[in-house]
Amino acid sequence: MTVGTDLATRAELVKLARALGTTPDGVAFAAVLPHEDIRRVRERVVATLYDEHRGAFQRVAAITRVLPTAVNVRIALRAFPPLLAARVAGEMTPDRAAELADRMPVEYLAEACVHLDPRRAGPLVQRIRPDRVLGVVMELISRREFITLGRMLDAASEGVIHDVATTVSTEALLRIGFYAESGAQLTRAVALLPPARLRGVVRDALSGAPGLASAGLALLGRLTDDELRGRLAGFAAESGTEALTALLHTALDDDAVPALLSGVAVMDEDGQRRVLRLPALSAPEVLDRLLRAVEKHDLWQTMADLTNHMSGELRLRVTAACERRR
Amino acid sequence: MRSDVRVVLRHWLGADVRAVEGLSEEALDELSDVLTAAREQQARALAAASDEALRQMPPMVRGTVSRLLGW
Repeated sequence: MTVGTDLATRAELVKLARALGTTPDGVAFAAVLPHEDIRRVRERVVATLYDEHRGAFQRVAAITRVLPTAVNVRIALRAFPPLLAARVAGEMTPDRAAELADRMPVEYLAEACVHLDPRRAGPLVQRIRPDRVLGVVMELISRREFITLGRMLDAASEGVIHDVATTVSTEALLRIGFYAESGAQLTRAVALLPPARLRGVVRDALSGAPGLASAGLALLGRLTDDELRGRLAGFAAESGTEALTALLHTALDDDAVPALLSGVAVMDEDGQRRVLRLPALSAPEVLDRLLRAVEKHDLWQTMADLTNHMSGELRLRVTAACERRR
Repeated sequence: MRSDVRVVLRHWLGADVRAVEGLSEEALDELSDVLTAAREQQARALAAASDEALRQMPPMVRGTVSRLLGW
């Protein structure tokens, strides 16, 4: 995938690749498009693919209407691979499809979920018993189906989100959040996390497996609530110099400086001082990359507002740069 | 944009074809190719799944079901 592609674009390319049954490298040509346009393309592609064979699935769905639920479940589990079951479920009324889903094994449902028409998933998932949904979520996590889970987040009720947020690993939460479709729904989910879990998410983002720092920055940037963003960023600012420096480098490498600064801008002043006085910021090449990112994303005003918390010489250099560009 | 590529992209993207107008000719060709491949891949996957479903049914009803569903 193109180096330097921002995180939102990267997530969209992965999702487009999934929709088209190819690899992210197979759709790397789209990296030059804004992530909103890649998403629009993906949504149209998904609609066209799912609509192409609807007739046959509508006929199967019509047959299920005349059979008792138990018979439908037996036939489906015996004869229908999850791919077909998902496509038929998309043509049934959500109530009827949920009635069947409530009687099917979690493993079967998890596989079907991967193939479910995203446009029809919401009403169906909302009608399936919450304990079943949680079971499916756990199964999907064990399969590392984070793209599917990110899509499901939009469809999940507050109760299910609460259960998931308080049950699954913080690493899984970060990875699901990276692929979440809606920033608002992602914010609602994060808001449900108890403080200890929120700290766990931050800890994982700063010191967990590869890719988690990027996911953490993406999360920070996508939250729609500044107070929540400030809390999350504040937890991060409590970390040691090494972890914060690594996060700074990840933000520079991943073109995630807007997300990083959005967090710094709303954290408390103690946190701002800790972050803005990182020794790494005084290294000319780091500062140069930071200022180039600020220029690219037109963040001069945000940067100017933060200079007060920088130490002597760094403050002078950044203030001078801000005044030249504003 | 080449006319054959335009036809493919119009089919897939409708009015949202505007979203890809910023792509180079080469990238548009690639997009057209992956869309066509995705369509073929889906047709193959559904055909395989349908065959599997029919195999699980009693032989005497397979023909009827197959005709009814257009598989």
